[in-house]
Amino acid sequence: MSILQDVINWLLGLGAAIFVPIIIIIAGLIVGMKLKDAVSAGITLGVAFTGMSMLISFMSSAIGPAAEAMLKSTGINLPIVDGGWTTLSAIAWSWPYAFLMFPLMIGINIIMLIINKTKTFNADLWNVWGKIFTGVAVAAVCKPYFGTAGSIGIAFVTAGIQIIFELKMADMYQYRIEKLSGIPGVTCTHKMGFTSIFMFPIDCLLKKIPALNKRFDAAVLKDKIGIFAESHVLGFILGIIFGVLARYDVAKTLTLGIQASCSLTLFPVISKYFMMALEPISSAISAFMNKKFDDRTLVVGLDWPFMGGANEIWLAVFLCIPVTLIYSMILPGNDILPFAGIVNNAIAVAAFLVTGGNIIRMCILVILFAPAYLWVGTVMAPFISDLARSTGAVSLKAGELISCSSIDGPIQTYAFSHLFKILDGNFLPLVLCVIFVVCFVALYKYLGKEEKEGREIN
Amino acid sequence: MKQIVVACGSGVATSQTVASKVNRLLKENNVPAEVLAVDIKSVDRYIAGSVAYIAITKVDKEYPIPVINGIAFLTGVGQDAEFKKLVDAVNNG
Repeated sequence: MSILQDVINWLLGLGAAIFVPIIIIIAGLIVGMKLKDAVSAGITLGVAFTGMSMLISFMSSAIGPAAEAMLKSTGINLPIVDGGWTTLSAIAWSWPYAFLMFPLMIGINIIMLIINKTKTFNADLWNVWGKIFTGVAVAAVCKPYFGTAGSIGIAFVTAGIQIIFELKMADMYQYRIEKLSGIPGVTCTHKMGFTSIFMFPIDCLLKKIPALNKRFDAAVLKDKIGIFAESHVLGFILGIIFGVLARYDVAKTLTLGIQASCSLTLFPVISKYFMMALEPISSAISAFMNKKFDDRTLVVGLDWPFMGGANEIWLAVFLCIPVTLIYSMILPGNDILPFAGIVNNAIAVAAFLVTGGNIIRMCILVILFAPAYLWVGTVMAPFISDLARSTGAVSLKAGELISCSSIDGPIQTYAFSHLFKILDGNFLPLVLCVIFVVCFVALYKYLGKEEKEGREIN
Repeated sequence: MKQIVVACGSGVATSQTVASKVNRLLKENNVPAEVLAVDIKSVDRYIAGSVAYIAITKVDKEYPIPVINGIAFLTGVGQDAEFKKLVDAVNNG
């Protein structure tokens, strides 16, 4: 037993870029990949980790000093580096227990299908990392109270509960999503939709104001301003803004602009290698599930981008960029400097779902809920950074903090993961959990009625 | 090697899943083309250099190249028909 323990510790000590590929090679062989394909996938994953680590070092060495200079020149103190969701997913995958989330998610899905509690088959196996991330957060919060083994147990139970809610959410939104996207047979299982649960009561109030029920053509505006949200242009603009706030001279400001642009442009390029490595495994699992439930018509749960044809989503995303930037400077309790996570699709999709694509109410909800993303990003930073450091997923200097300014479903993630903070007298997560469940049930009923009456979505 | 383009929100997750899957199918069928995953905000920039566009969203706009239904590759439903359309586009493009 102690030899096994030693071997595992030695493997973990090698760092994420070595041990995660080893796990994926084994997982690949289990699902029937050829040895050469499995090895290729494993090495690709090692490349992805190493590439991310390089890029994050580059980004923090450009943005970090600017943030310090900003503190001196303006007094605004935003020490947490924003690595965006791609960084977060890399760190989540480096959790030693990450791969166990696959069987948990598939197991729960199969059971729910067999007992007819869902009609959704979740094919979005990439976003297993969203469950892993909740698990990581739970484990970090619970460790002081329950020890390592106990906290990991609670982490998987919490992730399991999240998986059930994701399937139920996918069920309830399916009709509306089909009406809005025009694509039959699919729904969205992504936890970013959970924010819509908290938005629901506020949207109900907003709907009472007749002026907010107007339609509005979003296509024209989107084509005009769309270029500002392309990675390279947006990165450059942010770099220039940071340079000006830091009172850099012209040459240094322009250099920061290009460095920032380079970081934002390369993040997706490198993150693709994670997908390339994991795709064969997720395809094999999907094929297995399809075969198993061949005789039933299932709704397939996907990641959000199939709804990306809606111009309203993009307008809300664009609006959220300056809003987040301004909040980050003035919001008490925010320590994060929005950068790689500033394109916040998560908030826009949640607002899109709950309003049924009403752009005016979407914009109001974005302005109201944007602070949650900054606060949760701030709260989560210490243990995200700890995990990154301990697994070597990202090389961070001592004391350096990394997080993401657009964590998907931040309120739910915070509420679920920090529930046991109640032992320290913090009742907020519990209150949020109760609100989540109550609003979830109310929205479930509301959407069920909408589907039954076959209502058009306005 | 001809280029096919597929787009999603960031050019990372959904589009790359489709790209990897279709690339595998192309290789297995010896079709001389490669799929590139891009950010949907910049997809128009890649249309000119591609022989087909695999769309994950519903497309309202007219494109000068054939548009293939990308959802089929995510769900498996109707995948063979869409793949055949794609191969035709490669051969004619």
